[in-house]
This record gives sequence, C-alpha cells and structure tokens, in this order.
Amino acid sequence: MAPRWILKLENIEKDFLFHLQQGTRIVVFDRFSHLFYPGRASILTGPSGSGKSTLLRMIYGTYRTGGGHIWVRHRDRPVDIAAAAPAMIYTLRRDTIGYVSQFLRVVPRVSALDTVIEPLLARNMDLEKALKKGRALLERLNIPSNMWHLSATTFSGGEQQRINLARGFIAPFPILLLDEPTASLDLKNRQIVIDLIKEALADNTCVIGVFHDPADHRDFADHTIDLSLMLNQEVMQPCTQKN
Amino acid sequence: MTRMPENSPQPLLAVQHLSKFFGRQLGCHDISFAVSPGEVIGVVGESGSGKSTLLNCIAGRIKPSNGSVFFHSSEGMTDLCRCDEALMRKIIRTQTGYVTQNAAQGLKMHISAGGNIGEKLMAGGMRHYGQIRKMALAWLERVEIDPERIDDLPATFSGGMQQRLQIAANLVNAPKIMLMDEPTSGLDVSVQARLIDVLRKLVSGLHLSMVLVTHDLAVARLLCHRLYVMKQGEMVESGLSDQILDDPRQPYTQLLVSSVLKP
Repeated sequence: MAPRWILKLENIEKDFLFHLQQGTRIVVFDRFSHLFYPGRASILTGPSGSGKSTLLRMIYGTYRTGGGHIWVRHRDRPVDIAAAAPAMIYTLRRDTIGYVSQFLRVVPRVSALDTVIEPLLARNMDLEKALKKGRALLERLNIPSNMWHLSATTFSGGEQQRINLARGFIAPFPILLLDEPTASLDLKNRQIVIDLIKEALADNTCVIGVFHDPADHRDFADHTIDLSLMLNQEVMQPCTQKN
Repeated sequence: MTRMPENSPQPLLAVQHLSKFFGRQLGCHDISFAVSPGEVIGVVGESGSGKSTLLNCIAGRIKPSNGSVFFHSSEGMTDLCRCDEALMRKIIRTQTGYVTQNAAQGLKMHISAGGNIGEKLMAGGMRHYGQIRKMALAWLERVEIDPERIDDLPATFSGGMQQRLQIAANLVNAPKIMLMDEPTSGLDVSVQARLIDVLRKLVSGLHLSMVLVTHDLAVARLLCHRLYVMKQGEMVESGLSDQILDDPRQPYTQLLVSSVLKP
C-alpha cells in the first residue's frame, strides 16, 4: 500500500504584485503540485528568489495562496490552508504545523525560557512540566542556565537562533517547516540541530527544509526539490547519501 | 503573539455594515467584521482613517448612522444599535471595557488609584469595603503598580502607570471584550514594552477578546491575531496579522507596511 500523504500541494499559484514599484508582478508559483509524506525529509533547493521561503510561508499560511489548494491532513481530515478560516489556521499552527523561521522575533521582557515553552502552554501543558522540558532543551542546545531568565533581546545571533529552534522543537508537530535553521550556528550546535531533526523524523514528522549548506542535510534528507526546475516538472531528486 | 483563541462557532461581537457620517463628513463606511471569544483584533491605518470612530460606535459612545453591532451576551445576540437604550447601556457597562489613549480621560483624577478601581467594583454591585480594597490591591499588582500607591491620586502617576491603572479599572468587572484606542501611543518605548507585556499576559490569562486600534504595526503584530486595515473610512484589507504585515496586497497596506522601520 502506498503511504498516505500528509501535505498535498495541488496546482498552487503565487505572485507578488508590488503596487508601489510600478506595479511589478513577480510570479513565483504557477500551478505547482507536490506530495509530502510523514517521516520524510524534503529539502527545497534552487537559487535565491526561486520561492523556497515563499513555499514554506504559504504552507504556514503567512503568505496567501493565489490559486490552487494546500491540503494538510489535520486530525485525519484534509484541510485546505489556502481556504481555511482564521480559527482553523490558529489550530493548525498550534497542533499540526511547526515553523522555525530564520530569525527569532524577540519580545522585550519575555524570558528566553518563557519564549521556548509558549507552544507547550498553548496546548495546555502543565506549567511545571513545560518548564522542565524547556530547561532540558535549552541545556541540550548549550544555552547557559544564567541566560534562561533573560529576554533574548540582548542575545547574539546564534543564541537567538537556538532559542528559536528550541521553541520550534519543543512540541512535536506532524509537519515541521525549517527555514535555514542552521545558518548562524557553529559546528557543535549544528550537529545538535541535525540530531533534533533526525529524532523528529524518527517520530514520523514530515520535515520540509531550506538549508544554506548541503552538508547540513546530507545524512537525513530523503530527496531534494529543485524549485528552479518547476516548469519542466522534474523537480524531485532522490538523495542517496542518507545513512 | 498571544495565545491562540479556541475555535468558536458563535462570535462574541459582530459588526455589520456599520457606517457613520458626521454631517457630510464620512467617519467610517460599510464596515463588517466579527470577533470570536479570546480573539484579539487590530484595526490599523493612519490618523483620520476612521479607526476611532469605528471603536466609538462599537462602544456605544457614538450612534452609528447605519448598520448593526451585535453582541453575544447573557441575553443572546443583541443588536446594540437597535435594542432598548437601557439594555445597551447595561451590556456596555458590564461586558465591555474601554481604554482611551489619554489615561486622564478614562480615569477620575481627583480620586485615589484604589478608588478608581473600587468605584467600578461598586458599580458592579460589590459593597464590602475590605473586599473591594483587597481586590484593588490585587489588581494593582497584576498591572505592575506598587500596591503601596493605592491611596495616591492618579495625577501623581507616570503616563505608563496611569495607562495600566486605566486597564485595571476596566478589567475588574471581568468584561468579555476590551476596546482599546491607541493605548500605547504617547508612552516612551520602555514603558510601552511593559504595557504590552501586561496586556499580553492579561489577554491570554483571562481569555479576553480585544479590539485594538493602533497605528503601531509592531504592537499590532505582537498582540493581534488578525488585522483590519482602514483608509479614509473604508476597510481595505483584512487577514491574519502575519498575512497583512508579511504579504500585504492592497496598495495602501503595502505603503503602510513599507513606511515603517521593521514592523
């Protein structure tokens, strides 16, 4: 039996119309379709501007879809993100789709630890239990404990990135979107993030990611999707190096 | 962002085809939107775009020229623009809070901080002095005002403290929805951050709905689930906060978003 998809892009369209720049229109997706499966890692490739981050943001519902459907299997039922009501998108973001952006959006006066455990509290986890999980993950990501209670406002780029990663990985999601999660990390922390991704995959999470350095996804990627080849449909390349 | 609201089929507030004309001058025109329990809605746009007019119509402070404001109360779905005036006043008083930009307008400056909170509790039916004082102290603490200042006049408070006091005075009777008109403007940045943090905690802790009128897009992103963009009295675009700020579609929204430093 063929595995069941968890995410299905069906003829998606997206263009950006910049009214303030002489009405320039940029077409990013023109009836693009693709299926994604649980427990698989798909890496989006292509030169900058080819739509890698745009696709992640469309799946998360941040960018509105011009045409077509983005079906997500949510609690065993397909939901079209491109047409979902706001309340459904809030629920999807809480329970089904996780997203680690390139940069942490720092909130003044909110401690790093509180930032990290927010997704757990949103799922009504008991505070003590959430704090315990949060501390363990921050420790694993080498954030010194004397920084946990500070706002991330003053943290370095790499530290903020790790707070962002901890926030993204603290609660399990069936679908995890990663936008250059390793970009500002040193080798040691990079390996920790790669391990976290592998654990999510073993947990049957569908991972869709953009990585600056191919070395970072070499040992877990199932295939790459080259968005610059979208027009002739042969976007998918299997990865053979996975061990 | 603040905690996500639960799915709820019944909106708490539904504005339908609301218009307000001041003589021939347009305030706002044909505005419709709904707010679910626990949802924070932001109304953004430049000054003069009709944001405050809209909020004042919802709060029963201005009578709209046309349209309806439905409120889901213990009485069922009530159109505040059509129902009996006394019922409208009662719903507004017991179920909504209203915070103005200028705290001095929303507070009684000649009575103490505790008095400002206690007065609301008494209007809500509480009579026991000790209990009123106890609750006033608890609320001061909650909005991060030193409880020792309970007997001081609000005039001796800083702008940020006055604003937090105004919020506390509005929240003591546990309204279902807070209507806020530019609560953070006029405060300096660090004071703003504190106010926003207090609001964030209150909203997620109390499962409160909010309509927040602001021109500050960073505040809107931080606090609001959804945004409505107004221009010259009309609603030009709406969507999730990140959709409006990261993928604006209308020329005016694109102008608004591109005009600020890093929203």
